[in-house]
Amino acid sequence: MSVVSRWRSLRAQEARLGWALLAPTLIIVFGLVIFPAFFSIWISFHAVGLHNLNDVFHAPFNGLENYKRVVTDFAFKYHSIQNMGAALTSIVYSFSATLLALIGGLVAALLLNKPFRGRGLVRATFLFSYVAPIVSVAFVWRWILDPRPSGVMNDLLMRLGVIHAPMAYLSQRGLALIVVILLDAWRYFPFAMLMILARLQAIDKSLYEAAEVDGANVWERFRYITIPELRFVLGAVFLLRLIWTFNKFDDIFLLTGGGFGTKVLPILVYEFSFRLRDFGRGAAAAMILVAFLVVFIAVYLRFVMRSEEEA
Amino acid sequence: MRDRENILTYMARRMNLGKIIWLLTLTFFLVGVLFPFYWMVSSSFKTQREIAGRHPVYVPHALRLEAYKELFDPSAPHFQDFGRNIVNSIKVSVPTALIAVILSVLGAYAIARLRFKGKELMLNGVLAVYLIPGVLLIIPLFAMLAKIGDAVGFEVQDNLGVLVVTYLAQTLPVALYMLTNYFRTIPDEIEQAALIDGCNRLEVIWRVTLPLSIPAIVSVFVYTFMIAWNEFLYAFVFLNSRQMFTMPIKIQAIFSDPSPRPHVVMAASTIMTVPVVLLFLVLERFLEEGLTAGGVKG
Repeated sequence: MSVVSRWRSLRAQEARLGWALLAPTLIIVFGLVIFPAFFSIWISFHAVGLHNLNDVFHAPFNGLENYKRVVTDFAFKYHSIQNMGAALTSIVYSFSATLLALIGGLVAALLLNKPFRGRGLVRATFLFSYVAPIVSVAFVWRWILDPRPSGVMNDLLMRLGVIHAPMAYLSQRGLALIVVILLDAWRYFPFAMLMILARLQAIDKSLYEAAEVDGANVWERFRYITIPELRFVLGAVFLLRLIWTFNKFDDIFLLTGGGFGTKVLPILVYEFSFRLRDFGRGAAAAMILVAFLVVFIAVYLRFVMRSEEEA
Repeated sequence: MRDRENILTYMARRMNLGKIIWLLTLTFFLVGVLFPFYWMVSSSFKTQREIAGRHPVYVPHALRLEAYKELFDPSAPHFQDFGRNIVNSIKVSVPTALIAVILSVLGAYAIARLRFKGKELMLNGVLAVYLIPGVLLIIPLFAMLAKIGDAVGFEVQDNLGVLVVTYLAQTLPVALYMLTNYFRTIPDEIEQAALIDGCNRLEVIWRVTLPLSIPAIVSVFVYTFMIAWNEFLYAFVFLNSRQMFTMPIKIQAIFSDPSPRPHVVMAASTIMTVPVVLLFLVLERFLEEGLTAGGVKG
């Protein structure tokens, strides 16, 4: 046996072991994520309801019918600024919530950038809203925002004289969407904070010293050193959070149930599938959601991230 | 009035404008983050009377256990049998976390240490799971599992095992990614030495790699545990019987009860939230690294 072929068989053995170790993970992920993802494309072109769910592979093909019924659905379409429909609501919701969470995370990271006593504890505290279960967080906020005069928010704002009558924060068109966006920023700013803080701590301190010598004030140092250094992480966090927020179901479902002008695409997918039991139409709505995502990602990588590389 | 001026001039002497703004912003963030948690815990100790009053009660008069009794005491009116739901949540999250750790240690070791074609593609491909919305997967999963269940003979609905498997699919990619990154930071030479000493690969993993990776393994365990513990949508769709509800679904059920009892909802939420937050505080140093390295989906 030549040295070369022995070496080859050792390589082959190593490769076999590698695939064997990776196999359980791959089987689970492919079987329960990748395959179902493609399967749902198939479902979106077929008439699948509760009656034939057990025999789904023989469901009749119905072309673009499901898609047509999503796009023309009352809940999907744009009607007016008061009643935007799920597609536009989703876009407004995810862009503003992401932007706010990013700004909140930036402010929080700047607050914690310089050492002070108790900094570690404060940083850990800031993460509470992110690690706590969404169900408890959503229901506490619903209780705080209770529409009766006995709701904490109503009581506080009336005592302060900001409002004169109790408000229904989560069940009034327009206001409900704004409140949901604010609550999302409250929940997800810590993620942005951690990422930004890690980058902030890595900025070369001598840059600031040099700028100070040159007479740059606080704002100028922030504008011309901090922001450019953070550019990449801000861009990446924005895209990641945008994708996740766009896919988010729990938060809005638990806060408003998707009512009062807060019906986003994931809620619509859920309603088509599990309220109307029209799985084909649900899958078609999910595909439309994915199409939006693909467009965001493509536009983002092509224009935003590229111009950052050049800058 | 004079006192006030004194304080202001004192403060002005001690701090500059920047420091005041810093302190105000910090206070704003701290109050904003902590108040809901204070409200959750304190409301859980209120009585029905305090809850239903004309004005909110900011500090409960006493630590009343009315709400907790409803959750745990079989003799209480509206007894919720919440203990069962806690057990269900544990039955789902602990196996999820354990299996995720075991499988991702094996997979991450393969990607970090062994040479074979296609491993980078696998790592990145598996990460694509991050981009797929949960609501998209639930329809095909439901149909597929119903079909497989019919053939093999298990129920899809009210089956905690089905939940474990779906949570594994959601968490394994993060776990794999975090552990691969960690294993790559362990110098290869230590393992080579063990191999030369005659250990086989699995012994090397068990005796050398694992002991060196305790922090990463703890974070992976806690993350997958937390994801399974907090998960709402899949449990909401797959569980129908109150007996099988995990905590999040049970809390949603108590909340939707026709006679609203927020103090009970808050008590149940407190029970679900406190262990997670404590776990996080204790292991914070390990976990933060994981958060920034892996970017846990949330």
